[in-house]
Amino acid sequence: MGILEVKNLTHTYGGSSPFINDAVSNVSFSVEQGEIIGIIGHTGSGKSTLVQHLNGLLKPTDGMVLFCDEDIWANPKDIRKIRSKVGLVFQYPEYQLFEETVFADISFGPKNMGLCGEELEKTVTEICELVGVKPEYYEKSPFDLSGGEKRRVAIAGVMAMKPQVIIFDEPTAGLDPKGREDVMKIIKDYRIATGATVIIISHSMEDMALLADKILVMNKGEIYKFGSVYDVFSDVEGLRNIGLNVPIVTKVFLQLKELGVDIKTEIFTVENAIDEFKKLKEGNKNA
Amino acid sequence: MLKDITFGQYYDSKSVIHKLDPRVKIVLMILFIVFIFVSQNFFALIFSALSVFLVVLASKVPLKMYLKNMKAILPVLIFTAVINVFYGDGGKVLLSFWIIEINTQGIYKAVFMALRILLLIFISSALTYTTTPNDLTDAIESLLSPLRFVGLKSAVHTLAMMMTIALRFIPTLIEEAEKIMNAQKARGADLESGGLVDRVKALIPILIPLLISSVRRAYELAEAMECRCYNGGEGKTRMKQMKMKITDFYLSSVAVLMCAVVIVLNILF
Repeated sequence: MGILEVKNLTHTYGGSSPFINDAVSNVSFSVEQGEIIGIIGHTGSGKSTLVQHLNGLLKPTDGMVLFCDEDIWANPKDIRKIRSKVGLVFQYPEYQLFEETVFADISFGPKNMGLCGEELEKTVTEICELVGVKPEYYEKSPFDLSGGEKRRVAIAGVMAMKPQVIIFDEPTAGLDPKGREDVMKIIKDYRIATGATVIIISHSMEDMALLADKILVMNKGEIYKFGSVYDVFSDVEGLRNIGLNVPIVTKVFLQLKELGVDIKTEIFTVENAIDEFKKLKEGNKNA
Repeated sequence: MLKDITFGQYYDSKSVIHKLDPRVKIVLMILFIVFIFVSQNFFALIFSALSVFLVVLASKVPLKMYLKNMKAILPVLIFTAVINVFYGDGGKVLLSFWIIEINTQGIYKAVFMALRILLLIFISSALTYTTTPNDLTDAIESLLSPLRFVGLKSAVHTLAMMMTIALRFIPTLIEEAEKIMNAQKARGADLESGGLVDRVKALIPILIPLLISSVRRAYELAEAMECRCYNGGEGKTRMKQMKMKITDFYLSSVAVLMCAVVIVLNILF
């Protein structure tokens, strides 16, 4: 089975209060080793609550989470071990920086895992190289960095634990285009270097189309759909009904189709679009 | 766990007490505290207790809520009682050991003090359960307004504004602290085990980001306030004007009457 499996997970906030609210209800899915999973859904659809179960920050009200076929709550005392195997990068992770130097901050995670001395230094240096934190930054205060640099250091702080599954909750929120590209690159590089499984929550349909192998669509705490990029983004009507949309490129092709151009509409990335236009051009020549 | 912290523990049950002018409530609470302390003998104290209990009933806040407050203060209560047990002079000696002597007077004193503290907690809880934190600060500002005659007008307003902001940001900071705690836990931070020193050390990764974000928030808030032409109280009007109603007068008179009864009971016995 998959590296991470969620079975009938339900989470209710508020305990026994009158405001019972199922943030996540009866969610089941399975993630294979090395996959990139995108999670999309409108604000308040339970995405963040869902991912906080995957590393044991929240305990399911019902159902369970399996990591490598073992219930992560089988032994509640060992839950901290799961957190180093399933890394979670929160929204705006730069607000969690606290150490005096960049290097010390990135060391926090691996230190908590019990690494020390040379091993610790080696791990941190490796990650710094991977995410592009240059040695001259090691002794700087993380609070003197720019927004994009802070984000990079904060992400490195989670990656330094070398998790087998790494989850990002809107990793590019609030960054400029260059910053967004950098973060996306870091995520790809980490995956290539470690073969880790990646789960990304995002509101950018374009990024999802570009990166993800599979997309999980959440709506009101339930899974609306879990399938390939093609499966998810072909369902234009369905996505719009739950407050989501298709990538902008796809919109262009949908409108062209409406104008009577004989064209495929299952185009989700700019590259796909170029290929399709080339075909169209050749088709016109042939005609 | 952090969510369990209640502050400005307003409980909306729309009772007579809720509808009182918050200024009247504050003054009456002070009056109650005064007559709880003025009570010199058990008759007066029991009468005070009855009056406090009447207020508690009238507030329509479940007794359970009041008792929840007692839990936190229980150690203080027990400590006070135990200390007082040893300080009775006179009465029948019940126990004598070395220089320690416990007598009936001591027991009497202990019970008396404990009851007093109990009543204090009840009456002040009654105020906080029935008044929103904002009403409270407004009332404090209004009650302190005579200070303007001694040249402290802006100080009063500033103090009230500071209190309002502090109260307003408690839930925000709790939420923020929870987020940071989760983020550090995701990085393997251990907040739940270890000795005292370890636990205090484990707080650093939470306190520093929290402090930094509070400072950032403060700057942002100050700018937002200035953008909306806040200039510190001068010429400021209120959306909700506080007005004394006829019930305020009735209930104040009843309270004053109770106070008088306590004094009479003090003299009689």
